[in-house]
Amino acid sequence: MVALFLFTLVSLGLGVVANQFTSSKAGFLKKYFLGNRSMGAVAVALTAAVMSGGTFLGVPSTIYRYGWPAGLWISSYMVASLPILGILGKRIGQISRRTGAITLPDLFRERYGSPALGVLSSLLVMFFLTAFLVAQFKAGALIMKIVLPPSMVQAVVPPGVTIAEDQAAYLVGLVVFAVTVVAYTAYGGFLAAIWTDVFQSVVMAVGVMILLPLALAHSGGLERATQDGMQQAGDLFAFGPGPGPVGGFLPVGLAFSFFVMWPICGMGQPSTLVRLMAFRDSRTLRYSIIYQTLYNALVYLPIIFIFITARSILPALSNPDEVMPRLVVKLANPYLAGLILAAPYGAVMSTVSGFLLIVASGLVRDIYQRFLRPHATEREISVASYGATVAVGLAATLLALNPPQYLQSLIIFAGAGMASAFLVPALLGAFWRRASAPGAMAAMAAGTSTTLFLYLLGRFGPSALGLGRLLGPNPEIGAPSTLRPYYLAGVDPCVWGLVASLTAGIVVSLLTTPPDPARLRLVYDAPGQGETAPPALKGTET
Amino acid sequence: MADPTCVVLKNARREALIIFATWLAATSYCCGYYYLFGTSGAERPLGSADVKPVLGIPSWFLWGVVLPWCVCVVFTVWFAGFRMTDDDLGRDQPPMGEMEASEAVDLGK
Repeated sequence: MVALFLFTLVSLGLGVVANQFTSSKAGFLKKYFLGNRSMGAVAVALTAAVMSGGTFLGVPSTIYRYGWPAGLWISSYMVASLPILGILGKRIGQISRRTGAITLPDLFRERYGSPALGVLSSLLVMFFLTAFLVAQFKAGALIMKIVLPPSMVQAVVPPGVTIAEDQAAYLVGLVVFAVTVVAYTAYGGFLAAIWTDVFQSVVMAVGVMILLPLALAHSGGLERATQDGMQQAGDLFAFGPGPGPVGGFLPVGLAFSFFVMWPICGMGQPSTLVRLMAFRDSRTLRYSIIYQTLYNALVYLPIIFIFITARSILPALSNPDEVMPRLVVKLANPYLAGLILAAPYGAVMSTVSGFLLIVASGLVRDIYQRFLRPHATEREISVASYGATVAVGLAATLLALNPPQYLQSLIIFAGAGMASAFLVPALLGAFWRRASAPGAMAAMAAGTSTTLFLYLLGRFGPSALGLGRLLGPNPEIGAPSTLRPYYLAGVDPCVWGLVASLTAGIVVSLLTTPPDPARLRLVYDAPGQGETAPPALKGTET
Repeated sequence: MADPTCVVLKNARREALIIFATWLAATSYCCGYYYLFGTSGAERPLGSADVKPVLGIPSWFLWGVVLPWCVCVVFTVWFAGFRMTDDDLGRDQPPMGEMEASEAVDLGK
């Protein structure tokens, strides 16, 4: 509790300092939402969609449930940094500089010359990130719930109100978490989010390093833990497809899907694309790929080992989503536990702050500035930005009052949806001159609708939607969830969403009018002489 | 006529292809190894005798996940550290909404 309190104080302090940086110079929007494109290699590496509440709550829970196959499920992080930062990094960085884009909808609007595309992408970002935010708020509240003393919870509940102790602790945790994270994000903007992200990433790595030897020693080692897991969950704790439904947790089609999910879908996340607009230069990008790769290896492999051992240490957990905080409380003394628990708490906080800003920037740039107050003053924009951040935080808090049961499923749903919507328009826009605005809209629409359709199909079944003759019953694979999709051909919807998006993007682009040549020259061509500056800079440099 | 495509785009395209090939190789190896040696099925049921732990880790996980993970780390450090180019990405422009595309290009003339 003390460690979390200190962590919260540091985060709020970072917010205050970041606010001074944001407000001390001109160009509020670019500083508040993009940190003035000044991110260094360490900041990019440790913040570009690597860790979230899922990392420290959803992933441990999945490994605890499904054993070694869940290690493969997350192992595509071995090759995630290269695609996530390396494929689109230089081009997104260059295009955003040449066009002055600050947000993801800005980027699409300017590349394709289509205000409608900007609005569509803004609405999609808000829809999917809200789902993501709910998952993160739930994660933050779960951690607070475990560390809050029962006396404090009882003291907060008004007299006469009857509420289960567990539920009361969750609600109090949710409120404490929401107030903290919204306050420092609203006040400090992008820089506060980034600094807190870096801070928590370091704390997290230290926490994992401390936890690994404790867990190995307490469990009697990985071999013993594997045997215990096999006794509790069956032989498939050690082998694919893993324990669970008839077809298992991770048949090979789903294993492939998750090699698409983390490294490829990771490229299309708005939080990643925003960071690709914010890094300082391409040297920074190269080093951030290296740092992130090393960081992933040093954090994810130990996480797999630690939560395999949890089967020996905590053999009968009723709610596996709580395995991380419960394991820490079990293994470490209270002071050390507080320090280690600050890591996932920080991961959740920094993820939330980044997402809050993305949604808020969409509201300010694409609705307030574009439709309500096109000539808003700097002061009006800053007030709107603070207000939008608080409003989005409040909405996510209300939705998190009754969140879905499985945290990781919500994260996967939102991740798949956003990648299906944004990855192909970003890729085509960056590398293909012929990609047109209708093509990008078709790619967004096809990817999103395919993903949503497969989730609806999973929820209601093919027969309920009149597709019983065309499609068989949903394969009994993957994690059980209230958000379980239909696994067409045993593959996750993210793959089908990307396939549909790519097909639609290419076909519609070829069938429609080519983009404006002037716009293409700005985005694709070398400056008139030499390669060091875009055309717009010639004659304007001092 | 000289190719007008900017150097950043050419380099980014080349690097993207190499990165995609790396991802494909890692995915194929890990999923293939898992299917062949780490998956239990009706024809080839696996049990505790098949764990064959190395350092406590089931052998399929060590050779099918931990080993390629190490290879990927080495490759990434080499590729990002020595093969990717440092390109000038240019400097910030005002948003195109405030400046039409044709104007933006003409500024250079």
